[in-house]
Amino acid sequence: MEAILTTLDAVCLASQIILESGGETYRAEETVERMCRGLGVPQVDVLALPTGLMLTLTTQESGTLTRIVRVHDRATDLARIDQCNSISRQVACGGMTAQEALCRLKEIHHPGKDRRWLLIGASALSAGSFTVMLGGGWKDFIVSFFCGALVQAVLPPLNRRHVPMLLSSLIAGALTTLMALLGTLAVAGVQVEPVISGAIMPLLPGLATTNAIRDTIRGDLVSGGARIMEAVLSAVMLAAGIGLMLSMWGGVGL
Amino acid sequence: MNWGIQLTACFFAAVSFSLLVRQPRNSMLASGLIAVAGYTVFLLLGRTTLAYFAATLLIGVSCEVCARLMKRAATLFVTGAIIPLVPGVGLYNTMRYVVEGDYHQAVSTGASTILGLCAIALAITTTSVLFNALGARRKKRGAPC
Repeated sequence: MEAILTTLDAVCLASQIILESGGETYRAEETVERMCRGLGVPQVDVLALPTGLMLTLTTQESGTLTRIVRVHDRATDLARIDQCNSISRQVACGGMTAQEALCRLKEIHHPGKDRRWLLIGASALSAGSFTVMLGGGWKDFIVSFFCGALVQAVLPPLNRRHVPMLLSSLIAGALTTLMALLGTLAVAGVQVEPVISGAIMPLLPGLATTNAIRDTIRGDLVSGGARIMEAVLSAVMLAAGIGLMLSMWGGVGL
Repeated sequence: MNWGIQLTACFFAAVSFSLLVRQPRNSMLASGLIAVAGYTVFLLLGRTTLAYFAATLLIGVSCEVCARLMKRAATLFVTGAIIPLVPGVGLYNTMRYVVEGDYHQAVSTGASTILGLCAIALAITTTSVLFNALGARRKKRGAPC
């Protein structure tokens, strides 16, 4: 009984981490199935959704065990998905026990500290580079660089306070546009188009879209549909934020 | 000259974006290079809907090959590599036309943006399905785990 509960904890945590890090739902399901095969559970049924996970293990000695895990916060973290993958592969090959896997997964689930400045730097550099890629000059690069840094500095605290993702997309779009328009006032010769379109590139739901397509074509229609809606809504809200700020700027008449 | 600058910027943009989504370190360089290759194709074919499709096809195939070589999930590479193709300019311009009240331009820009996105989606789907089919066949022959 003790052993099967550890197994249940380990597989739940593994697929929960994958879902929280923005992984595809079929990956979460496959991970559970793979780990259970390696740990000697004869029958497992699992249904993963972007917002939750249900799974049932059936063994001879302890009967049927079911658990539901709710997934609230989703953020993109590909390294965590990769780590979960490699742990589940080791478990499947019999190179790791359920107890060890659980310990490793707990370490992944509670990372030491977020490298906040690194992420702000990455966001700033990618916004700036996108601006240059879309035909901006060095002045545009600088303005866009600050847009990217500001957005990345503002969004994580909002997410931590459980501001809905759609609202934070709206705020991100509006903030980017405001910064870009202020930039045109402060620095002469800044073009608005490459700055704004470059700075919103990192905010567009790229991973959500590709995952949505993957889920849908694999026949996971519920998760696929939910993810497509998430991607479309967040792009629309981003666009609405831009439009809102552009029309307010126009209304002020600068 | 202009292209050189844009492609270099494309590389840095893709790599720093992959840092932002916390891609594992050793997949970043591959992602950046694939992104540059894809964007080059996109520019060569003249930013049409077909160009979106062809560039994404190239990116999808390279990412799947990389994933097989490095024994990792293809998603890890695709996320960073695809991002330069995402039509951010189209989104911004559509919004600008809407705000200016020029609905003709807004609808045509919006439609071409959505078409571009559909082309990207279609190409990713194609490569992913093809490679999955290939992988499934190999697994049946008894690949090691």
